[in-house]
Amino acid sequence: MRSNKEIEETIRTKLNFTFDPPLRGQLLARALREQEQSQETEPAIDRPAIRRMIMKNSIVKLGIAAVIVAVLGIGIVEFLGTGGTSGVVWAQVAKNVEASTGVIFRSGGTGLRNPIDDWPNGYRITWRSAAVTRTDYYRGGQMYRTIYTNADTKTVIALFHDAKKYNKEAMSDERVQRARADKERWTDPQGLLNLALSLEHHALGQKTIDGVLCEGIEATGPDGSTGRLWVGVETGYPVLAEIEGIDDGKVRHTGTMDQFRWNVDLSAEGVEPEIPADYEPL
Amino acid sequence: MVEDQLLKWKLRRGSKEALAQVYQKYIDSMLTLAVGLLNNRATAEDVVQDVFLSFARSAGELRLQGSLRSYLMTAVLNRVRDHRRRLGRQALRADAAEPVDPECRSSDPEEAAILVEETARLGGAIAQLPDEQREVVLLRLKANMRFRDIAGLQQTSLNTVLGRYRYGLDRLRAMLNGEVER
Repeated sequence: MRSNKEIEETIRTKLNFTFDPPLRGQLLARALREQEQSQETEPAIDRPAIRRMIMKNSIVKLGIAAVIVAVLGIGIVEFLGTGGTSGVVWAQVAKNVEASTGVIFRSGGTGLRNPIDDWPNGYRITWRSAAVTRTDYYRGGQMYRTIYTNADTKTVIALFHDAKKYNKEAMSDERVQRARADKERWTDPQGLLNLALSLEHHALGQKTIDGVLCEGIEATGPDGSTGRLWVGVETGYPVLAEIEGIDDGKVRHTGTMDQFRWNVDLSAEGVEPEIPADYEPL
Repeated sequence: MVEDQLLKWKLRRGSKEALAQVYQKYIDSMLTLAVGLLNNRATAEDVVQDVFLSFARSAGELRLQGSLRSYLMTAVLNRVRDHRRRLGRQALRADAAEPVDPECRSSDPEEAAILVEETARLGGAIAQLPDEQREVVLLRLKANMRFRDIAGLQQTSLNTVLGRYRYGLDRLRAMLNGEVER
């Protein structure tokens, strides 16, 4: 549940409105004309200013999606930061991931901005391919939000199930580039391959996860954050990822990715959500 | 701030550059406050335009000793109050029923979609607050005003303002956490 402090921070940082560029320009031009006209009739009066103003300006751009990226994405970067000495051939794992047309996985964590979304009460199911990402958000077992992005069609569809609202809009080129960059950072197969080959790790040995014999590696980042990745011995695909993010020497965030399904043809999965007839525009 | 002192000095000398700088620096904050107070973007834009054009006309006579930010935010508040008085409560409720089109500056599409929703919910919750509580919350958090100054604007005691702020936040928290029906 959000605290009053978090409500304050949300209002400070997220409640922002701007004039549309055309109106913005028109208003300034009109204001300058008004200023000029007033000077033609009234002389300016000088008077020294006295008081000093203290202005706080805090900018925090952290949505839930960003938290996910921070907790899980950065964590993945960190746990891949370790080389390979185990029985699993990690370069082959990266090749497998690269060749996978699409993947579905579950993710969750603790220490999120809104504690109500902490695991196990909250979690997400994500479908991801090179161009498409769909994430369903769950809270208390109920799906309350769906976000779908398609970099090829430059489309974003957001469904807010609890409010029966939706938002569908075109992605700007900037957002398309950002979406593709996100994939390169932590979900793009080539990105994973490069990271796996360039960083060091130590082996965790073998254990069985959900009936699958896995081998794991663990890495520790410069700030003490740790990540563990478990890969199926037979399949050569990731089965479980666990991350512990450290801030100021304490564990602030944990993240888990599991229930992976690799080599999924997302086009056949009907990933693009349909907007229910009774949903209203946001 | 020294920068604002310089801007005021230039404004009194009719500097167009200074007016443009004030505009760039504060116009979005003014709009955010107005939208928050009115929960109606179109009306908020009208209010802010009126305020800034009036400011531009009188900039040469500016005898302001306080901060430009507080001055402009107070002007927005006063214009909003005028608007309320002019239209009356019934019209305002109809006004508020128009959904505010939320916006998000994030370039990440998934994050942007979430923030759009959160902004809409936040705006909707703020709109449910009584006027006095909404004013205190927004003047404090979006205009960075001191409680003492807000008390002056509301012509009430500091303790009353502090109470309105706390009750306002409690109510917002309850609404956003789903503890009460809006």
